Amino acid sequence: MPTSRHSRRAVCAGLVGLTAKAERRIDGGFVFESEVAGHAIRDRKPFPAPARTIKLPIVIVGGGMAGLSAAWWLEKKGFRDFVVLEMEKEAGGNSRYGRNEVSAYPWGAHYVPVPNADSVLVRELFTELGLLIDGHWDERWLCHSPQERLFLHGRWQEGIEPDIGLTAEDHRQFRAFDERIKEFRASRQFRIPMASGAPSDSPLDKLSFRAWLNNNGFKSSYLHWLADYSTRDDYGASSADTSAWAGIHYFAARDHDEKGPLTWPEGNGWILRRLLQKLGKFVRPSQPAVRIGKSGTGWEVQTPDTLYQCAAVVYAAPAFLLPYLDPAVHPVKTMNWSPWLVANLTLDRIPAEKGLEPAWDNVIYGSPSLGYVVSTHQDILMHLQRTVFTYYWALSEASPAQSRRDLLSTDWGVWKERILADLERAHRDIRQCVSRIDIFRNGHAMVRPSPGFLTNPERKSWEKGRERFFYASADVSGFSIFEEAQYRGVEAARRALAAIGR
Amino acid sequence: MAIVLFLSVFLIAACGLIYELIAGALASYLLGDSILQFSTVIGTYLFAMGIGSWLSKFVAKGLVERFITIELMVGLVGGFSSAILFLAFAYTDAFRLLLYVMVLIIGVLVGLEIPLLMRILKERFQFQDLIANVLTFDYLGALGASLLFPLVLVPKLGMVRSALLFGLVNAGVALWSTFLFQGQIRRVGRLRYLSVLVVAALGVGMVLAERITETADASLYADEVVLARNTRYQRIVITRWKDDLRLFLNSHLQFSSRDEYRYHEALVHPGLAAVPNARRVLVLGGGDGLAVREILRYPSVESITLVDLDPEMTKLFREHSLLRKLNSDAFHSSKVRVVNADAFPWLEEHGGQFDFVVVDFPDPTNYALGKLYTTAFYRLLKRHLAPGALLSVQSTSPLFARQSYWCIHETIRSAGLNTWPYHVYVPSFGEWGYVLAGKGEYKRPQVPPGLRFLDQTSLAGLFQFPADMAAVPVEPNKLNDQALVRYYDKEWRDIAH
Repeated sequence: MPTSRHSRRAVCAGLVGLTAKAERRIDGGFVFESEVAGHAIRDRKPFPAPARTIKLPIVIVGGGMAGLSAAWWLEKKGFRDFVVLEMEKEAGGNSRYGRNEVSAYPWGAHYVPVPNADSVLVRELFTELGLLIDGHWDERWLCHSPQERLFLHGRWQEGIEPDIGLTAEDHRQFRAFDERIKEFRASRQFRIPMASGAPSDSPLDKLSFRAWLNNNGFKSSYLHWLADYSTRDDYGASSADTSAWAGIHYFAARDHDEKGPLTWPEGNGWILRRLLQKLGKFVRPSQPAVRIGKSGTGWEVQTPDTLYQCAAVVYAAPAFLLPYLDPAVHPVKTMNWSPWLVANLTLDRIPAEKGLEPAWDNVIYGSPSLGYVVSTHQDILMHLQRTVFTYYWALSEASPAQSRRDLLSTDWGVWKERILADLERAHRDIRQCVSRIDIFRNGHAMVRPSPGFLTNPERKSWEKGRERFFYASADVSGFSIFEEAQYRGVEAARRALAAIGR
Repeated sequence: MAIVLFLSVFLIAACGLIYELIAGALASYLLGDSILQFSTVIGTYLFAMGIGSWLSKFVAKGLVERFITIELMVGLVGGFSSAILFLAFAYTDAFRLLLYVMVLIIGVLVGLEIPLLMRILKERFQFQDLIANVLTFDYLGALGASLLFPLVLVPKLGMVRSALLFGLVNAGVALWSTFLFQGQIRRVGRLRYLSVLVVAALGVGMVLAERITETADASLYADEVVLARNTRYQRIVITRWKDDLRLFLNSHLQFSSRDEYRYHEALVHPGLAAVPNARRVLVLGGGDGLAVREILRYPSVESITLVDLDPEMTKLFREHSLLRKLNSDAFHSSKVRVVNADAFPWLEEHGGQFDFVVVDFPDPTNYALGKLYTTAFYRLLKRHLAPGALLSVQSTSPLFARQSYWCIHETIRSAGLNTWPYHVYVPSFGEWGYVLAGKGEYKRPQVPPGLRFLDQTSLAGLFQFPADMAAVPVEPNKLNDQALVRYYDKEWRDIAH
């Protein structure tokens, strides 16, 4: 739609030899928007009486990775009398994914670090899925080279540990930090799943990761950046809002012999897809639990159309939601959840690059976002013309409540501008490449391991569970990663089986 | 009115400097030694401007007409200067002479511009204002041009089109002056007509600039360019010098018809001759059909599947008469099936086993190509090997890129195949390496008769590696850890510098 103003500008631009660049139209909008349904529950809107009643030994509430892992375990043990109630039209939680004409892409978790011997369950699942064959990882789904790059001082460098422009003192601090991490690793306190090593209390849990760095003489701004990037990446919280124990866990719990991580175009949606092939028959989509209550020795779980009477509940939905379902439970006051924004940008062409080739994970130093992941990175095609960038932004600058308000009240157009302005630092032509931006606003994306989370009474109560009621999500661990969700899901399933005498 | 006049000064000053910069840059680009080229071009140009200024005093009457005529001449000569110089470099030996002649002509004409314009304007302004303003805009124009040239013009337009664009500006000033000084010109119509003609000529030049650049580009290849084509995937250039045809993909030499038989005989026969009664053959890459030509020597072969990404490439070698001759009409054999697809996903999606496989991919210059040299790729390929089958892989130079060569070898071994590394001397490439691999054993075969290079004696020699090419310890190349691209980048960069 050339207006006269546009065409005049085009003529002028043409005269000085520039190609006329009309502002490119970018489509898109918000996706999922499940907070409407969620808020209806929160606001205790009246629900109709259920039309039917079903009796079952076990009901799993929540079809994310925790709920599906509980189902995976039950099914493995030959137990099939259960259902998985899912609020959304599709199961998956933080492992959900999308697909368009260019590529599949994640809407949340997008990789799993290569699990070491500690992560018995993850290795068991991955062996089943054919990822681990005779002790070898399937190269196809290990992250291809080049894995990571960082945009620092106006250019891309390999790896995300800052390297260019550092003083000798900065380098010394990075080495000293590595040494400390090695010691922590040797203590066997920091393991995945965390329950296999975490102490019931630790002096490291009494202060923030940032305070710990400062107290230990780590003042390098580059090291502080990496620490902060890491806690934002895994916990959605700044290093000042993260327990030092959790901050150290990020670095000390991972020692794998194979270069990873494992990743797929659709992110952890690949695992989800494979699990659903086997377990989809147990999943009841669009069936939010709206009431949960004790009934005799067992439980009643009510959805809009069905009343489930069961002996045991595996509660794999977020812990902050339960007080709205069961009036006997107190509202969560001390644990927090980080709000996230995930955007999928469809690109008609790949941004021009000087120097390094695009990596899988592309991080911009000093950006409030976490950068982007190239969803076509695992492709084995020689010439890619188009791609999808999955762009992550953990809103960690303000308090979770305030950030959540900003997240939900800001227009798509404003978010679009914020995202493009951020990417423009590293890709000047990004606006000429992007044709579509879809945005997922996840108000409660992941639980936060704030200082004191190890001894937090609320988290402790989830760990303990209730009579024949077992919390399954990563909330129990205090931080939300695939391995914890899977471990807590399986653990809850085990306890549920034991409780009903199976 | 005044500002419009001074804008003309600004524009012609910019044009003048642009031609000078183009001449200097072109000379540096084509002849090298930029200090010498720029110094002599600037010196000649300034000297010529001096001549122009001196000559201006002999222009007595019809100042405006002369000014407009000079503008048109500058536009024409300056505008086409770059194209003429490019073509002169490509097709004549007179580049240097022509360069300084053109610099002289443009310099003289530009030297005439300002004095004439000042005399035209002297009636309208105080002398002190006139000289101040004219020189101010003159220098401003120079600044504009000198910034525009490296930052915008060269990267966005290239030299040929930049010169033409500023030729248009000169011609535009001429045309515009016919209106500005309407009252002072006697034969306005004729001048306007001339101006439009020059504008049109330069416009046509702009449209043809791409062709001019391409033709001139040809001179960058030492030989005559028979064909140059940009496909979706690559730039294909074929050159000829006497009876030597050469294929370049993205400026990388793929073969020279003088010695390609050494490369292709070595790629195919040590392996294929050792598979008794091979029936099904797979060729990955090799869109030139030259490996297929060698494979077709075996009567036992019933089908050859060739998987090459670029349909333009296989079409070219099926249709172009010179190229058909070179591959002996390989693509017209009923045994040959051409599949235009990406090899890696094609292998993933298709079953089928083969008795002999040729892997002839471009060298691993980037991470995308590097994926075709990984343990994952060779493991996949292994599943397509029939019992007793062999695999032959072009593996870059064990002499120039020793780690890269042995890395490919190590990668194939890591994929669980037995390997027999060998190499051959191809004059246009230098020492070139291959890896033969299979699930079983390998015994040196009887090669087919009638080959130009390989016979029993030379075959035995291929498997000997002298000390300077002997195996070195290397990491295998994996999708998640592409050691090969790092080795390759380092080794070929060391050679280039």
